Amino acid sequence: MSLYLFALLAFLTLAGGLGVVSTRNVVHAALYLLLSLLAVAGIYLILFAEFLALVQVLIYGGAVVIVVLFAIMLTRSSEYPRISDNRQWPLALVAALGLLGVLAAAFLAAPIQITQLQSPDFTALSGSLFTKWAVPFEIASLVLLVALIGAIIIARAGKNER
Amino acid sequence: MLENYFRQYGLAAIFLLVAFLVPVGMLAGSWVFSRLGVRPAKPSPVKDAPYECGMEPIGGPWNRFNFRYYAYALLFVIFGVEVVFLYPWAVRFIQMELFALIEMAIFILVLAAAWAYAWRKGDLEWR
Amino acid sequence: MSSYDLYLISPYLAVAGTGLLVVLLDLVFRRKGLLAGVALAGLALGLLLTAVQARDSLGLGGGSGLPNLAIGPGLLAASLAVDRFALFFNVLVLAAAGIVILASVDYLERMRGNHGEFLALLLFSATGMMLLSAAAELITIYIALELTTLPLAALAALLMDRNSSEAGLKYLIVGAISSALMLYGMALLFGFAGTTSVEGIAAALLAPAQQPVPFGSYAVLAAVALLLAGFGFKIAAVPFQMWVPDVYQGAPAPVAAFLSVASKAAGFAVLLRVFYTGFGDFDWHWGALAAGLAAASMTVGNLVAMSQTNIRRLLGYSTIAHAGYILIGVAAVAGTSASQASPGSLTTAGPSSVLFYLAAYVAANLTAFVAVIAISSRIASDRISDYAGLVQRSPFLAAALALALAALIGIPPTSLFIAKLYVFSAAVHSGLAWLALVGVINSVVSAYYYIKVIRVMFLEPPAAQERIHISPTVWAALALVVAATLWMGIAPAAMLGVAEGAVRALSGVAR
Repeated sequence: MSLYLFALLAFLTLAGGLGVVSTRNVVHAALYLLLSLLAVAGIYLILFAEFLALVQVLIYGGAVVIVVLFAIMLTRSSEYPRISDNRQWPLALVAALGLLGVLAAAFLAAPIQITQLQSPDFTALSGSLFTKWAVPFEIASLVLLVALIGAIIIARAGKNER
Repeated sequence: MLENYFRQYGLAAIFLLVAFLVPVGMLAGSWVFSRLGVRPAKPSPVKDAPYECGMEPIGGPWNRFNFRYYAYALLFVIFGVEVVFLYPWAVRFIQMELFALIEMAIFILVLAAAWAYAWRKGDLEWR
Repeated sequence: MSSYDLYLISPYLAVAGTGLLVVLLDLVFRRKGLLAGVALAGLALGLLLTAVQARDSLGLGGGSGLPNLAIGPGLLAASLAVDRFALFFNVLVLAAAGIVILASVDYLERMRGNHGEFLALLLFSATGMMLLSAAAELITIYIALELTTLPLAALAALLMDRNSSEAGLKYLIVGAISSALMLYGMALLFGFAGTTSVEGIAAALLAPAQQPVPFGSYAVLAAVALLLAGFGFKIAAVPFQMWVPDVYQGAPAPVAAFLSVASKAAGFAVLLRVFYTGFGDFDWHWGALAAGLAAASMTVGNLVAMSQTNIRRLLGYSTIAHAGYILIGVAAVAGTSASQASPGSLTTAGPSSVLFYLAAYVAANLTAFVAVIAISSRIASDRISDYAGLVQRSPFLAAALALALAALIGIPPTSLFIAKLYVFSAAVHSGLAWLALVGVINSVVSAYYYIKVIRVMFLEPPAAQERIHISPTVWAALALVVAATLWMGIAPAAMLGVAEGAVRALSGVAR
């Protein structure tokens, strides 16, 4: 049964992704992105990663897409060129399909052991997050600080130029 | 245990489905009825004007967007990630040693510095 | 976490803490000199702590003498490997950051009031680079890479004119794509090995090969290619080099200087660590991949540089060519024939030549860029034709730039002459004589465009007559890097010994 669910969610993810690159309206593109990200959250749920699904919905669906939409509204562009307006799109398509082929071959040819999924222990996750992964965790705080400073400097100048 | 898991999220999924189908169903039904001729379809300029609480619409559809919204959305992303890290920490905080407290304190202090930066640079004002 | 762990991460804490301090002080005080002074003090503290750790690691003064200081079941050993390799790159990155801050004193007036952010972002990026060269497992590598890239993207857009915004945007987008590719490779590797630690991946790879493919598995082969793509962007190798000329031209000159030197060094550090420790002697085919990239980078970089009229784009293409020379050293993997020998049988000639080349390149390229920073803070132009007659307007600047360009060609007695010698000989000893030949030909060809600039500076009549005056701190920075370039060329033995010692700390390399 989870196979059918996964098929549905995978289809939604891919449809969202294709919608982002093929639509002419940039706000529609942001909404297709939202669809894609929420479908990925569904995939996390199938894999019993509840916390990750929560994070995905909250951060990606709730914060990142909002920032994208607000940034779009700041630039006041109601239309942008589609990907097929760029003359290099056949080359890009070939490159993308090539990458897909290579990755698919890598997955299909490599012997993958399918382990039995079980519901992970959230307390174990949080325990290891602050002991084994403490260093990346602290570096992440610096990354957030840097992102905020960078975004504020650049956005502030954009506001002042108007 | 597994069945319980799927049942819980299955209920949530059904809820989402209903929430999606009801408005879509209404709109689709309305369109079907208009094609069938049951619902009259006579658009007029007054009927097509955007709804503004019964008054005449003032200003065009594309207004100057207040920059402050974007600054707040930025701050929301950063502090949303902080909150997301606070959840697992809160779950295990009591069982871990002092080290976990110091770790999270450093994390929050760095983001407090980010907040102070935003504050002093005037990004928390509504102007 | 014990106090020993705190001691191990103290350099990173020092530099990141200084960055935080600069951010907070910038909100309170307005004096520009104070912030630069605090930043330099923080860098000096980081250097001091690194020196203490180096003394400890070498066993002097009663230290432990361990090649890798972070051992044991502590939390640090899982994420960071504070070994001599990491310490070498700490010094390199901190020195480069210090020189850039010293040299940018005049240039800061053009930063539209963002001095504090410039210094803070530079410090955070330096922290990311130091962590990148010490990271021992994939997730730390990824997040340290983000900490390195994001500040540089914001810094590149700092001038906020059209060129600068374009530079920042290009760097950000290309960086995001390469991060995505690299993450995919990491995911494949983790799926194959079951662990994210680099040494754990090496252990998993030693299991008997499953398929008659290089690396024993299509998944690992794809992962290696994807990782190389991700790292290739950082080091500006062909075909990942498209961002370089536009970013070098549009970004503020100190940012371009820091990018060209420190970011490349950190990229090579992580490349060496992942490929030597993770894949090691398991399969030398990755050396063939690196050799192909090296040949392409040298050729493309040199050929396109010949037609440049903008000094920054010229230096950008020269950076691409030098990435090619360094990749020759990376490709010089096995001193013996390819086999599934036990780990620890790789020679040290290749990677130690890479480290020496990086040190020499940092000195020479920084000399060139400090001169460019000083000149462009006064004449506000990057066209080579505007550099005409520079020898009459500022003889020391012209001489320093000429020395830097001569070093980049590889003329004795500069540092890069010795570096190229070592890289080419390492290639010959690994059976890559064709690559060394390509390198020599490219070095000769590159002389054309470097000498073109020297000729314009010395032989053409000057465009304007007034002297170019620069402040004493810029003099100091210039003097330091000129001295470093000459020292490594005249007395290279010390730095060579350091490079070799640093490389031996990598766990895949011969003891």
